[in-house]
Amino acid sequence: MSSQEIRGWPYEGYGLNFRFTKRKVVGVLALIAAAAVPPLLFRSTTLLSSEMALSIARGVCIALMALSLNILLGYAGQISLGHGAFLGIGAFVSGLLTIKLYVPFFFGLAGAAVMGALFAVVLGIPALRLRGLYLAITTIAFAFMMEESWFRWEPLTGGSAGLELPRPRAGTFVFFQHADYLALVLVLLVGYWLFDQNITRTKIGRAFNAIRWDERIAQGFGIPVASYKILAFVLSGALAAMAGATYGHLIGFINSESFAFKSQPNFSLLLVIIIAIGGLGSRAGVVIAAIVYALIPRFLEFLSGWEMIVGAVALIDVMARHPGGIAGAVRERKEKRGERKARAEIDPIDDEGEMPKLPRLPRPSGLPERPELTKGAPLMEVEGLSVTFGGLKAVDEAALTVRAGQIVGLIGPNGAGKTTLFNAISGFVKPDGGKVGFMGAELMERPPHERARLGIGRTFQQIGLTKDLSVRENFLLAQHIAADYPVSKGLFYTPETDGTERAMIRRATTAIEALGFERFTDTPVRNLSHGQQRLVELGCVLVTAPELLLLDEPSAGMSPAAVENLGERLREIRDELGRTVLLIEHHIPLVLDVCDYIYVLNFGKVLAHGTTEEIARKPEVISAYFGEAVS
Amino acid sequence: MGEALISGLANGGIYALLAVGIVLVYKGSRVLNFAQGEMGTFGLFIAFWLIEERGLPWGVGAFGAIAVVALIGLLFERIVVRNMGEASRLTVAVATIGLLLLLLALELKIFGPSPRILRPPIEGLGLHIAGFYVSPTQMLALLTALGLGVALAAFLKRTDFGLGVLAASQDPAATRLVGVRVGRVSAFTWALAGAVSAVAGLLIQPTIGVFAAGFMTGLFVRGLAAALLGGLTSLPGAFIGGVAVGVIEALIGQRYVQSTFPGIQSVAVMVVIVVVLLIRPRGLFGRAAT
Repeated sequence: MSSQEIRGWPYEGYGLNFRFTKRKVVGVLALIAAAAVPPLLFRSTTLLSSEMALSIARGVCIALMALSLNILLGYAGQISLGHGAFLGIGAFVSGLLTIKLYVPFFFGLAGAAVMGALFAVVLGIPALRLRGLYLAITTIAFAFMMEESWFRWEPLTGGSAGLELPRPRAGTFVFFQHADYLALVLVLLVGYWLFDQNITRTKIGRAFNAIRWDERIAQGFGIPVASYKILAFVLSGALAAMAGATYGHLIGFINSESFAFKSQPNFSLLLVIIIAIGGLGSRAGVVIAAIVYALIPRFLEFLSGWEMIVGAVALIDVMARHPGGIAGAVRERKEKRGERKARAEIDPIDDEGEMPKLPRLPRPSGLPERPELTKGAPLMEVEGLSVTFGGLKAVDEAALTVRAGQIVGLIGPNGAGKTTLFNAISGFVKPDGGKVGFMGAELMERPPHERARLGIGRTFQQIGLTKDLSVRENFLLAQHIAADYPVSKGLFYTPETDGTERAMIRRATTAIEALGFERFTDTPVRNLSHGQQRLVELGCVLVTAPELLLLDEPSAGMSPAAVENLGERLREIRDELGRTVLLIEHHIPLVLDVCDYIYVLNFGKVLAHGTTEEIARKPEVISAYFGEAVS
Repeated sequence: MGEALISGLANGGIYALLAVGIVLVYKGSRVLNFAQGEMGTFGLFIAFWLIEERGLPWGVGAFGAIAVVALIGLLFERIVVRNMGEASRLTVAVATIGLLLLLLALELKIFGPSPRILRPPIEGLGLHIAGFYVSPTQMLALLTALGLGVALAAFLKRTDFGLGVLAASQDPAATRLVGVRVGRVSAFTWALAGAVSAVAGLLIQPTIGVFAAGFMTGLFVRGLAAALLGGLTSLPGAFIGGVAVGVIEALIGQRYVQSTFPGIQSVAVMVVIVVVLLIRPRGLFGRAAT
């Protein structure tokens, strides 16, 4: 497989590392000029009739709206079926500001963005508790409340009589002609595009993607899930409000029904459709789908009355045949081409034979200082930890001590509570009681994402990686806690952000080289073998140099040779990297081989503990794992 | 209070019928079917054509409508849903928006935009309870919603085929391995959803009075709200959710003057649902999907 062919979807921005230079500024200016000049050049010529300019401008406005929703739906995976409300908020706010207070157009847009962001916070709070369809209905409810209350409040919005939104002006020049306004919205599209690119090529977009993939994995990498969810809502709401305002000033008239759920078109659903056709999370796909949607009626006039039917059939057909939308179809073709090439080169992806080294990296700067550890001193102490599910005590007054520089095994039959214990330490389940001390901090008082910052890395039975993303992107995601620039700077990709991101990319490259996975750098993780995914996961956990690694059944699904290799790697982690490991493992030979100390768990209780030699001699352990002695 | 309760119950039957259909598709294929309402409108047009224009008896027309809409559900599953296999459920939901748009377009093209009236299955004013007439159709709607909810729930839980439906929605591959014909199960679910939608349309129309293209889509959100209130995976929950939505709406409508704030009913219903979901994120009777 030619891995370079496959860009990690759904990101598009990573490979290009913009430098903050004059060249970049010139580039942006050139883009703006490229967007603005053609409409101005061709205005009122046969090439760009007024209606054509209006149609394109409409398409661009819809593209702006869809890009906004894409941040929430495509990146962060939060379904909103009520985004029409944000469009309405933006259009009314900007309309009122420009009409009643005579503020300039761009201040109107800014006002729209602020109000959109405020309402987005309100909508985002339920999203912290609700998922999937339950969240979707809440967003519809939000849209209903907006359109039935504020939008219909006549003293404010004029109700069904509506507002007449003025076109912007610059000095004495009014963007009255559609072509002029088209130039303006195209420049806005460039702005949205670049801003969106900033999201996807910084920790912000990576955090969104991790949340969409699996919130626990995101938390394991130290991402504050709740804050990032709210952030996704705020960004999406603010941008959608601005897009709605831009659209309002284009159309020139809005009323209480303009963005209503019952109206035609139903913008809330239209935007979801456009994103589905463009491809979830694909910037280019979404923009293309929006503009095609706006322009297609102009080319279907000959269908005289059948266009609705044709359009509906086309939508069903596209979804049935290309569920990934435009972007999905393009990606499939690329992958197919890549496969063909790979077959020609014969480049098999194999598990065994190679003995990759784990990345040996110092602690990234920007993480809190940690005290020097003496080998053998207690690193983590668990006391009286209990977790109940319903009536079942999954973990019952568990107590254990993990000493620095050791590999500590945690064994026990299925359902003994091993993973639950890990989950309690990671903060994914709330224990009924108990304490977990880690390097002088009390873990139970800290939110899950902070525990990663303290120096606890964790792997998952089902592989804690976002499998849609490439190996490199996963290594960048894993460095989330080291990305210490504030989100506000990341959104504008400041030089500080650039510097940190570059350091992160270098670190990722070093780690990938250590593993010997250079050729898979841009390969989506799902295309790797299970054993390779395990190694990438281990590498990702190690990339921020945590003191303690919680490894949940790392040998599961591995071949015997790979397990042997894993044993080597674990010793390497202890002896050469000087890390501490708490290891859940069913593969007893491996446990006896690598562990310094072992805890045996059953029915949530610590049954026995001792050095490996002691445990290996215990009759109950022998009977549980090696069968009854013949009497 | 009594009056609101009665009228709420009567309307609640309507929402419950829609909610039962939504829950059925969700249980069967983990998809939100946006066309669940509009399939019923299409059925109404078929029934109207058979009964009012061809002069066939109500029962025959209703049967024809139910059959046609069940066929639409079946075809949609065969042609679209089945081909989407492992695709994101959101994408499948967008495909159902496509079906909704297609049905709307067909209704407008074939039957035109003008509103129509279909006679009710049983004539007469009905029972006079607490100052409010409950029409025979309303009673029928309520009973049908309750009956369908309970019967379908029992069917899904007690019969092998029903268990196949539930299993297939959780893990199609494993279900296929134990010998269930997953394709058939899914086709059955969609056909049944179509039939339920047609029944809903036939029983809702007399209460509303007239119908036109897009008729049921307006009610769809209420049906969805009812389904979520009941917990999306519970058929009896769908019935209770529907009645609850109807009663809340009636109570609010009675308490507050309509003209100053026309949308207060929908807003109140939505507020109640959001509050319930925030307290119980899986609805009143929903269970966490495993």
